[in-house]
Amino acid sequence: MSEQRSTSESQPAKPELVITRIFDAPRELVWQAWTDPEQLVKWWGPKNFTAPVAKIDLRVGGKYLNCMRSPEGQDYWTTGIYREVVPLERLVYTDSFADADGNVVPASHYGMGEDFPFEMRVTITFEDVDGKTKMTLQHVGLPESMSDMTGTGWNESFDKLAESLK
Amino acid sequence: MSSDSLSATFAALADPTRRAILARLISGETSVTKLAEPFRMSLPAISKHLKVLERAGLIARGREAQWRPSRLEAGRLKEVADWLEHYRRFWDESFDRLDAHLRELQAQQKQRHRKQTREKIHVRTKKHF
Repeated sequence: MSEQRSTSESQPAKPELVITRIFDAPRELVWQAWTDPEQLVKWWGPKNFTAPVAKIDLRVGGKYLNCMRSPEGQDYWTTGIYREVVPLERLVYTDSFADADGNVVPASHYGMGEDFPFEMRVTITFEDVDGKTKMTLQHVGLPESMSDMTGTGWNESFDKLAESLK
Repeated sequence: MSSDSLSATFAALADPTRRAILARLISGETSVTKLAEPFRMSLPAISKHLKVLERAGLIARGREAQWRPSRLEAGRLKEVADWLEHYRRFWDESFDRLDAHLRELQAQQKQRHRKQTREKIHVRTKKHF
């Protein structure tokens, strides 16, 4: 278990997912876990999933191709391009569903709804906090042109709405 | 829903006034006049917001010309919530595994370090005799 396990959408003003975690490990290790394919396959994917393939070309403009396998044996390939690579500090990449050859496919390829965006963007920041690592992940699933939108109060309203729909 | 219409939904939701309107509609159908009350905004301005929400499929409006009550269309909002939920689960569970991985890695490093220290001591002790 990590020390802090919070899933919050604190400051964002747009529909996005922000997850903050503190890992009891130095920043170097957490960075390596994200960027070394041999390590990524050890944790990539939900509980009981495995990750048979991870290919990482870690440089701006470089491509990655990951595969995770569900307990039922279904493979889910994802691919994208690294947009920012600042060692130990910041990683930004695009995120799309793919086939085994790394071609982008719509989410419906995997039987998911048509509502899944084609390309999403993931930003991870790593901070030192007394020898531990605070990692913040932001997952935005919007077209580029929309990710600059500003505004306030998105989250409270949205959380309330989502709650009311349960 | 195509990703285009999802974008329209997100765009509609990006405005604080529109989100506040949606939040008010949780308690039920409401007229434009009632919806405008808490805002320092003209009725036409509120109507404009309602039009955006309606086009995004987030609300439906009654037919009566005078009153035109608005109500929430839960389906579209639920799709947005589901989309976020899918990824929340993916990341939360992946990070549980990352946490376990980092712990194991550090435990291994410690063990290796201890072993090396033991060996050093052993060598030193040997030299002594």
